[in-house]
This record gives sequence, structure tokens and C-alpha cells, in this order.
Amino acid sequence: MNLSGTHARRRSAGGRSALSALGMIALSITVLLASERPADAAYAQIEGSGSTWSKLIVDQWISDVSANGIKVVFTGNGSSAGRRAFAAGTSDFGITEVPYQGSGAQGGDDPPPKNRSFAYLPIVAGGTAFTYQVRVNGKQVKNLRLSGETIAKIFTNKITNWNDPAITKDNNGTKLPSLQIIPVHRSDGSGTTAQFTTWLNSEYSSLWKPFFGRSGITSYYPSKGRSIGANGSDQVMNTISAAQGNGTIGYVEYAYPVRKSYPVVKVLNKAGYFVEPTQYNVAVALTKARLNQDLTQNLTGVYRGDDSRTYPLSSYSYMLLPTGAKDKRMSTSRRQSLADFMFYSLCEGQSKAGKFGYSPLPLNLVQAGFDQLGKLKKADKNVNLENRSVTQCNNPTFVAGNLKANKLAQVAPKPADCDKLGAGPCTTGTGAAPTSVSDAKNGGGAAGGTGPDGGDDAASGGAEVDPDTGLPVGSAAQGGGAASVAVQTELVAGRAGDDKVFGALAVAELLAIVVAPGLVAVYLSRRTRRRTGTPA
Amino acid sequence: MSRRRIALLLGVLVVATFVTSSTVTAAGDDVGAFSQKKTVTRENVDAFGNASTVDSQDVTLEVDHTKNLQGRERVQVSWSGARASAGRATNPYGENGLAQEYPMVILQCRGRDDSSLSAGKRLSPETCWTSSRQQRSQVADTSAAVWRLDPFATEADRGQVSGVSKVPAGCSSPGADSSLHLTPFKAANGKVYPACSNDTMPPEAAIDGAFPPAEQAAYTGVDGKGETSFEVRSSIENESLGCNESTPCSIVAVPIMGTSCARGTGDLADTNGPCRAKGQFAPGSSNFSGLGVDDAVSPLYWWAESNWRNRISVPITFGASPNVCNVLDSRAPVGFYGTELMSQAALQWAPAYCLRKDRFRFQHNVQPDQASFTLMEQKEAPGAFVSGAQEDAGEDNGSPEYAPTAVTGFAVSYVMDRPDNAGEDSDLKLNARLIAKLLTQSYPASAFGKDHPGLGDNPLSINQDPEFKALNPGLDSIAREAAAVIMSLSESSDVVKAISQYIATDPEASAFIAGKADPWGMTVNPSYKDISLPVSEWPLLDEFIPVMKDDCLKANNDTPYLPRLAAPVTSFRKIAEAVLDAWPLAQTRCTGIGTDLSPYVLGRSERQGVGARMLLGVTTLGDAERFGLRTASLQTSQIPPGGTFSSAAGRTFVGPTRAGMAAAVKTAEQAKRGAPFTLDMEKVRRSKGAYPGTLIVYTAARTAGLEKSTARTVAGFVRTATTEGQRPGSGNGFLPSGYLPITRAGTTAALFTSAQQVAADIEGQVGETATQAPADTSAGIGGPGTDALTDAAATGDDAATDDAPKQATSDQLESLGSTASLTSTLAAWALPLLVLLGLAAGLAGPAMRVLAARRRLR
Repeated sequence: MNLSGTHARRRSAGGRSALSALGMIALSITVLLASERPADAAYAQIEGSGSTWSKLIVDQWISDVSANGIKVVFTGNGSSAGRRAFAAGTSDFGITEVPYQGSGAQGGDDPPPKNRSFAYLPIVAGGTAFTYQVRVNGKQVKNLRLSGETIAKIFTNKITNWNDPAITKDNNGTKLPSLQIIPVHRSDGSGTTAQFTTWLNSEYSSLWKPFFGRSGITSYYPSKGRSIGANGSDQVMNTISAAQGNGTIGYVEYAYPVRKSYPVVKVLNKAGYFVEPTQYNVAVALTKARLNQDLTQNLTGVYRGDDSRTYPLSSYSYMLLPTGAKDKRMSTSRRQSLADFMFYSLCEGQSKAGKFGYSPLPLNLVQAGFDQLGKLKKADKNVNLENRSVTQCNNPTFVAGNLKANKLAQVAPKPADCDKLGAGPCTTGTGAAPTSVSDAKNGGGAAGGTGPDGGDDAASGGAEVDPDTGLPVGSAAQGGGAASVAVQTELVAGRAGDDKVFGALAVAELLAIVVAPGLVAVYLSRRTRRRTGTPA
Repeated sequence: MSRRRIALLLGVLVVATFVTSSTVTAAGDDVGAFSQKKTVTRENVDAFGNASTVDSQDVTLEVDHTKNLQGRERVQVSWSGARASAGRATNPYGENGLAQEYPMVILQCRGRDDSSLSAGKRLSPETCWTSSRQQRSQVADTSAAVWRLDPFATEADRGQVSGVSKVPAGCSSPGADSSLHLTPFKAANGKVYPACSNDTMPPEAAIDGAFPPAEQAAYTGVDGKGETSFEVRSSIENESLGCNESTPCSIVAVPIMGTSCARGTGDLADTNGPCRAKGQFAPGSSNFSGLGVDDAVSPLYWWAESNWRNRISVPITFGASPNVCNVLDSRAPVGFYGTELMSQAALQWAPAYCLRKDRFRFQHNVQPDQASFTLMEQKEAPGAFVSGAQEDAGEDNGSPEYAPTAVTGFAVSYVMDRPDNAGEDSDLKLNARLIAKLLTQSYPASAFGKDHPGLGDNPLSINQDPEFKALNPGLDSIAREAAAVIMSLSESSDVVKAISQYIATDPEASAFIAGKADPWGMTVNPSYKDISLPVSEWPLLDEFIPVMKDDCLKANNDTPYLPRLAAPVTSFRKIAEAVLDAWPLAQTRCTGIGTDLSPYVLGRSERQGVGARMLLGVTTLGDAERFGLRTASLQTSQIPPGGTFSSAAGRTFVGPTRAGMAAAVKTAEQAKRGAPFTLDMEKVRRSKGAYPGTLIVYTAARTAGLEKSTARTVAGFVRTATTEGQRPGSGNGFLPSGYLPITRAGTTAALFTSAQQVAADIEGQVGETATQAPADTSAGIGGPGTDALTDAAATGDDAATDDAPKQATSDQLESLGSTASLTSTLAAWALPLLVLLGLAAGLAGPAMRVLAARRRLR
């Protein structure tokens, strides 16, 4: 028998004690030098699966936190699969657009976990966009607009040709050539489908119910007529943008067409404007969301929002967070990974949402999310949540000092006049994810600014907001005629104490300015006296 | 006088905060290569009590490196002198590898095989990781429970219930005629998992976990040799196993010789009984259909003492995990946007920035090249990572310049098994015509595509193509859907542009696309004939809808077949993982039974079985190196279309090596200061040693109109990235594999010089001061063709696009908005910063007074 292996072992065993002694010294030096490093806040890898709706921004966050040593693995296999894996206890977290639907849902039951406590944690907002390929003489149409009713009729096979009078009317008389409409739906269990059918069920139940066979929502879109099923948001985009895709229209989160510079439908809102799901219009729309006690969303107010900037199909995406003290998959280091992954994503990670085709969460929802993260600490006292608060977020979309306000909703420009029902259509393209107010405005059709009202000076009306109330100051009456103001997202459970955080911080800083110099002066002069022997 | 003192004092304060932490240096020379030889045996005792060695082998096991490993790192394990395996499984990992005979079981175990260590630090089957309970615990009819006759086992281990003193709660007791053996798993935190059911396994062993199992029952060829790469897991990936810097671990290889058998009674001990079984399959054979094997010679009983005693243990050490950024770091991040080619470098670079107080928090946001460039020009991002010249977004673009930041590129990554279990192909050669055939979907893939007009006579997949066979002899010819396409990107990218340039500059490939058949008569898919190249985004042009005979496909409504096969995705990373897992992205697998509750659904194909894998994908070189993927050599010689050929002779192929990239960089030219270098594909190919997939990644930034602090940050980044960031290594701040270092001297010197010039230009903001963009910028946004809807309405009303000048009233709002992400960050910091400054000044006041006082006293 060859013993070289044994020799090697001995050597390394002998050398190890010396090495480890050195290591201890090195370690203590490192600790002294790199006080920045969390005291071995050992992170363990966490795994999750679910939504492709929010995957593009979640993937970026995962790549961002890897610099912090947090390893996250996420598989975008659809919300339904994500909920299932979480309920079965085979994942550490799930991401989904809709809560557990219970038994009897199409495509199999969707019962909540039996033996797993969890919380819904909103992670990002966005708009479910309708992207399409319609060519006229070979040229791609990029400024299509549709009313909700037309969309509902398209996806329930009531409108089947692009030359339909309803579509012509939506586009203010501009008629498309005869071309069969091919709706593209998700073939897998999808939160995007659930979001879309929630809207259909709520707003166009008379069309949806006979098509679906009953009322209610589904994660598995019924495949009927000419429609095509595609697996995951990537494949919906592939199907629509392929050469064969002329005439197709499908639903995906806005980020997908943005990544491909593909056009999206401007959807008619209750104020009479056709708008695109930019981060601004989504933010405005979601000021009308009502959140239940468990933070799940009630979007009826969003669908019917009467602000001229409202994008009606706006919604939040959620993480399923394991909160049980005895959760089988959880350990301190996994909880710490979850906590810090979300601390980053909810806080600073929101600031890049717009560039990716999403919309940042308003600050009060971030705070509500932090409260959910607090349950991790409750489950395991060794989880470190110190100094992780909303005051830490490097996030320009938050309004400092006003938890309830949403800056984007405040500065969101009004739609151009050519986007108004009965005017236009604007000739500018869509799907560019404007990240500045001016772009959002131009994208909305500055080039077509020759509508009856002329001028766009009213756009600045939304910028001035009372810092206390979050309400616009003397905001001009807007296009739709209705009182259209951006108000805060109201949480059902009131959170009166939130502002204290900022108040306390301000007071502490002020006190420090006033008191600290004096204290230092006293301390230093005392020390000097001691050293120099000068009597006190 | 005193003012200068204060300045001095503040200066000292600032310098004092610049203390940096030490960075982890690259691994030393000693990688800990391991080799050990051991005689392994199977020894039976017959009915008369005569012991005999029925099989003996001298196994030598080698591992290429064992020291300073990181989680998910792969080590190469090879052996010789082992008994030939039989009945190869399609998948040797985890429980899938159980239906094989005489394999080499390779496991990762916590602890060391050293009798001088205390029991808690020694390894045992209970500290060895398996991803399923089937690999640990067995219930069998006593007449088949071969472990109960193991002559090397203790008396207790031969009882009806063994491995545990009594049946643990949550596990069921064996019936009267059955025997139970449990191999509980001892987690690093001391918790013991009985491992009798899925629910009593550690959490990392979840079914469908994110990572496939690492432990495997590897195959030994008829020559007694075998080789495999083994992925180690650290405590970050597998907390229960818990291997890290301070917890020593081992790789344990158990050559399965078959369980030894003692004298006994009944069927179990029979001469032809299960205990002495010698296998159902012939050496070198396969068992792809998963038929039953003789348990006694299968990996099922790796833990039985007669197998376990034959083990070879390889001590491994894990490196210190590199220092990482603190989530509580309150500095605002500086987010660069751009190409995924930078991802692996950015991952290693980020901590080198955040860990230093005099630097900043670096972030890389992956977005397509052109989109990122536009964000940069609009001041939405301080810099963009692009791999070539981009179009300017508008007139107020700040005269951007391009600083060379990394040399890397794309790879055609692949996994291909040679037939008859002869191992993986490691020398794939591709020419531009083969890549063109894959991208243009000219292989019909299956019977569905056969009906495609113009494709009927083409080979079904690449491995049936005589051209491929000529360049890559010795692979099988079994048609596969996955081998008819190359996995690629769905969105715009300079990588796609480079690939299409490679095709366009190749005489054979461009003739093929123009409609000329290859020498064997294969023609281009008519949908892609004469496609104009290069393109930044590869289009899905095929429209053929096969006549579906299959109910499931019919139910999915006449969708084109080939685009579903191509199924491009939004990130290269996803492709790299698909190659790693041999899991095609093709969306052609049908599930469901056609009812309302379970409709027919088309989804992703199944993973390919080991031994029959054949999959190609475009990946970044960084990902290919990170995941240890094999990469193809690409033909550089330009050969006019001619007759058939039967070998690679006369053609030059270059792989993605550093030398290959350096040769490509050598051909690069720069038109003027600050401009990107041109990597002309013609020149690259004429220089025979240059790798055609080479790309230079630039940091593009404005040289006018940037705020001073931002300009300084970007310039500083370029300087750091092109000096410190170019040291090859795996630690924080080092340049990972897959990138060619840019250096002050040598081939890349011109890139280095250019980077320093651009850094100076950015810092000095020397570019032409931007003129206020004319009012009609918006007219350019849509570009021609965006107004087709208006065009269509020839009789349209007043949709005339009147470029009304911007109104003065909107200026304020616009300037606020267009710089929102940058200025407001500053604004957000201005107040606290001022407060802190005030505080510092306040503190400095008394301090100065005291200093002055002390001085006076002296």
C-alpha cells in the first residue's frame, strides 16, 4: 500500500496547528482593520423559485448582493410552481404575483402551506404590459392604443381582426389593415396570467365569465380559439417578436418589451387617456391600491383610478417569506441571508426599478416589508436586524421625511394631449422605459403636441406636493375632468408611528450638533489639564 | 495660521479613515495534487468456512487539486486499476446513479480519515453527504439483505435493525421478515437526521433543489480507468454538511467491488444467492433504461463495511471566503450599466471597491449594450460597459469616449459524450458554416421539421452532418432535437453582432446563407436565405408549422416548430447553466392529458442523460471558465466553397485561450484618441492564431457635462480596473479566468494607454460642452417606421407631426427629471454631509484651541 497520502495528511495536520495559530493572529488583525465586515454574519445560500414577471429585477438584485457574500439561487418557473415548491417545503422562498388561491383552481389545487408559517412581502411594482407585433406594409406599428374593453374582447376571442371597428375607434379613426389577431397567453401556471385575469374578472366579468366558464381568476389561461400558449415570459416575447408573430399580442411585465425595445399598447384609463406602464404611471396608479392586513393587494381602485396618468394594470409582486420558528429549511444563517437580501432589495434595490421596466415601492410599503422581515428575528433571536431601517435606503424615489408620499407619483408628467380619448394618436413609439420625467413626457408624444388644448404646462402641476399631507398643492384640474390627485397608498392597518423614526433621527442629529462640540471641548481641556498638571 | 492647522488636522482625520483591509491573494503554487494507491478486495467465506479473495484490484486515485477550494469549485478526479463498471446509468448523480454495477462512488464527507483524531473529527458514512435517502437507508426482505452477511461488519451491524440503536421516531419498523439499515446523517451543528424518508433528510437534500446532486457513482471503463469532475460544496451552499475554512473535509472514493459475504444460512448465503451475485451486465455496457441490477455490486451499499473499508480518502481544504461588502454600507452605489461579458469580472471587483473607504460602491447592472450606452449619454448611468462603438442617442451626448476595460469574448460552450461510454469529447471544432447552419435553423431536428419545405434532405441534427463529422470524428449519429440548434440570446448584444460578423466574413458560410448548398447538398433554411449580416439581435424567422399528428401539439395551435426549438433567452448566464446541467432550453416537451384541469402544455425539454449528451450554447468566456464548461475551437482560415472534405486538415482552428485573445487584440486599430478599437473580423481571421470570439469591453462615459465628482469616480474606476483589476487570480479585485489582462507593456499596451487617456479626458471633462439639444430631439426617438399607424391612415386627420418647440415652462421640470438619479443622490447626501461637516468643524474648534493651549504651555 502506498502511504504517500498518509504522509501528506500528517504533514498538513502538523502544519495546521501552526497555521491556525497564525490564522488566529491574522484574523484578529483583519477584524481590527476591516471593521466594515459583519462579524462573520455567516450567510448560507438560499433557494427560491416562481414568478418570471419580476425575474429581471430579482436577478439583478441577486447579482448585487453577491458582493455582500449573500448567495441566492432563483429559478423563474412561474408563480404557481413557486407557490407549490414553497408549500411543499422544498424552497426557502417563493415569488408570486397572487396569494395562494386555495383548492379548486384550474390547473390543480393551490392550497397554502399546511405546516409552514409565512408572510407576503411586496418586493416591487410594475405594469402588466400588452406587447404586440402588427405590421402595415412591412412597417411595425409602435403606437397602438386600446381600451380595456377592447383588450378584454381580444383575449376572449370576441375581437379577432386588427381592422375591427373598436380598435379603429381606440386609435381615433386610424384603421389597421385586415389581419387576424393571435392572442399569446402563458401556458405555464403564471402570476402574470393571474394578474391579468384578476383584472378581466373584476372589470369585464360579462366577457370573462362566459369565456372562462365561471367567474374567478386563474393562473392557467384557457386555451381557446386561435390563441397560442408560451412557457414563461421569455417565450411569450419570442413568440410575439418572431417572423411568424405578425398579428400577435400577449401580456408580460413591461420589463420584457423594454429589454427588447418592443412596443407596448397604451391602455385607456378612467380619465380618458391612453398611457404606457412607465414607472411613473404605475406609481400613480398604485396610490389607489388597498392593501389587506397580510399585505396582499386589492387592485379594484387601481383598475378604476381616475388620475389621467394611471396605468390600470399596475400591481405588486410578492415574496413568500418563511416566518415559522421551527421552519425545517431555516437556520440562522439562512434567515440572515433572506433578511439582508430583502433589506437591500426593498431599500436601495428599488432605485433601479425604473431603468429595468418596473416601478419602485413607495416608502410605506418598504416599511411594511421591513415589519415582515422583523418576523425572522422573532422566529430566531440570533438574526441580526440592527441598523437595518428605511432611513438607511439610498433611494432617490423616497421622499425623505414623508413615509407615505411617492416621489414618482408626485413628479409623474401628465399624458400628452394626443394620448387623450378622441385625440391623436401620438406618433412616438413605446417600450423605452423612460427614466426621467422629460423622457416620460416626450415618450408620451411631445412631437404630437398639437391637440386641442395645446401646451403641456399643466404637467408641472403634479410636482408640487404638500410635504405633510402628500397631497398636491393646488393641483390643476386635469384632462379627465375628475379630481385627479395622487394620494398615498393606504395600508389598512394604520401605521401612525412611522414618522417618529425620522423625527427621532433629526432630533438626534440636531442634539449632536449642539452638544457634541461642547462636550469634546470640555473633555479635551480636562485631559490637557490632567496631562500638563494644571489644576482643574 | 490656525486655519492651516485645521486643514492639516482634517487631512489627518481623512487619511486615518483610509485604512484598508488586506485582500486575499491568489492561491499559491501548491494546489495539493493528490495520489494514492490501494489494494481493494472482495472476500467471501464459503459454506465450509473457507475464506477466499474473489477479486482484488490495485486502484490508484488522483485528484488534480485539493487546497483552498471555494464552494462549487470542480476538482478533476481520475483513477486507474479499478474493476470495470457495467450497466452505465444516463445520470450518475445522486439516486439516479444507483442502478449501475461496479462504479466508483465519490462523496464529500465532513472530517478526516485519521485515527489519531477524536471521533468527532473523523469521517464516517454518517458524515458523508448524499442527496437522497435511498442512498443511505434500506429496507429489504431478510433473504435479500446482503449487509447482514457482511464479514467485516460488527455484530450490531448485522442485526435486523442496524445503523441505529433503535428505530427513530418518524421511521417505521421493519416487518418480521424484513431488515432495516439506516445511515443517519450527522449535520455540522450536531443535529442527526434519521434519513429514513424524504422528510427526515436535511433541508439541502430537497427534491428538485437548486443544485443537482454532486455525489456520483462514476463509471470505470473496460481498461480500468475512469475520470470525472467533482463539485465540492462549502458551508454556504450546504450548511448541514458544513465544510469550510475551519471545518476540514474529505472527498471519499469507494470503489465498489461487491459486498463480501460470510458463511450463513438460507437463500441469502447460497452460492448463487444475492450476497455473492456478480452482476447482470457486461463490463463496458450501458443501462440507459434503468433495468434492475445486482444490489451486491451496485453503489446501494457503499456504506457497508466490506465496501467502505476499500475507500480512498482525499483530504481537502477550503479557502477563506473573501471579504465581502457590508450590507450596511451607507454610501450610495455607483451603478454602471452594460454587457453581460463583464459579469464575472464585476463579481470579483465589487468587494475591492466597497471595502475601501476612499473608493465607492461599484455595481454592474446587466443591460444590452446600446440601451446602456443611451442611459450613459442621458446621464442616467455614470458609465456603460459596451463591446464596440454604439450609436449616439441625441445631440446632447457629452462626447462620450471609450476606455478599454477588459479583453474577453464569447465561447461556443458544449457538452458532448462519445458513444459507448468512452467519455466526453474535449476537442470540438466548429467552422462558421456549421454555426450558420445552427443559427439559421437549417437542421430539421425531427420528423416535424422534415416536412419543412427545403429542409427535407438536410441532416436532422448537426451530428448527422458530414461536415461536422469530418471535423469531429468519433461522435454518434443519433438525431437529437437539441443538437439541431445552438442556444443563444434573445435580445440585442454586441456578442450576437460579433458572431454574425464571423459568419459574414466566411466564404463558405456566406455562400451557404446566399443559397449555395454545402458540398454534401445541405441547403439553408429558406426563411433565413440572404439574411443581411451582421445583426445585433438574431431574429426568429422560421414560420413553418408542421402538420401535427400529435394531439398535444395540435392543441397548441399551429405555432411554428423551429422557433420553439431555438427558444433564445435573455441572459448568457442561463445558457451557461443549461450547458452545465445538459438541460436544453427547447420548448418542445408536451405535458398534460388534454383535460380542462390538465391541459396540454408545451414546456422545456428534459435533461439529457450522461453518456448521450449533445448540447451547444453561446456563452460568455467568463461564465464558461467559472462553470468549467468545454469550449469549441473556431475555424479562422477562410476557405472558398469547394468540394467535400473528410478531415480538419488544411483548416486552422483557434480556441479561446489567452494567446488566441492576445493575437486578436494585436490586430485592433484605433481611429482617434478616445474612440473604440476596431476588431476587424477579416484581419482577425487572417492572423491565423487569433480567436474570432475575442471582444474588447469598454467603459464608455461622457467627457462633457458630467458633475465633477461623478467624472472623478468614473476616471478612478477606469484607472483601478486597468491596473489593479488586471492581475489574474480568484481573489477580491483580481481578474477571473476568461479575461486577458490589459498591461502597460506587451500586446495590450495600446489598450492600456488608451484607457489612461480616456480616464484623463473623463476626469478633465475635456469634451465639447454640450449644446442644448435642439427642440426636435423627440422626432428622432421613434425613428423612421414608428408612425406606421399614421401612415396606414392615408386619409388620417391632423396627425401631422408638428415638432413644436419645447415650452419654457417645462424646462425646470425637465432638468429636474433628466438628472434625477444623479443629482438627487447628491441632494440626499448633501444635508447629512453638511451636518457632519458642521459637527467636524465644531469638534475641531475646541481641539485646536486645546492644541494651541498646549503649545503655549510648552
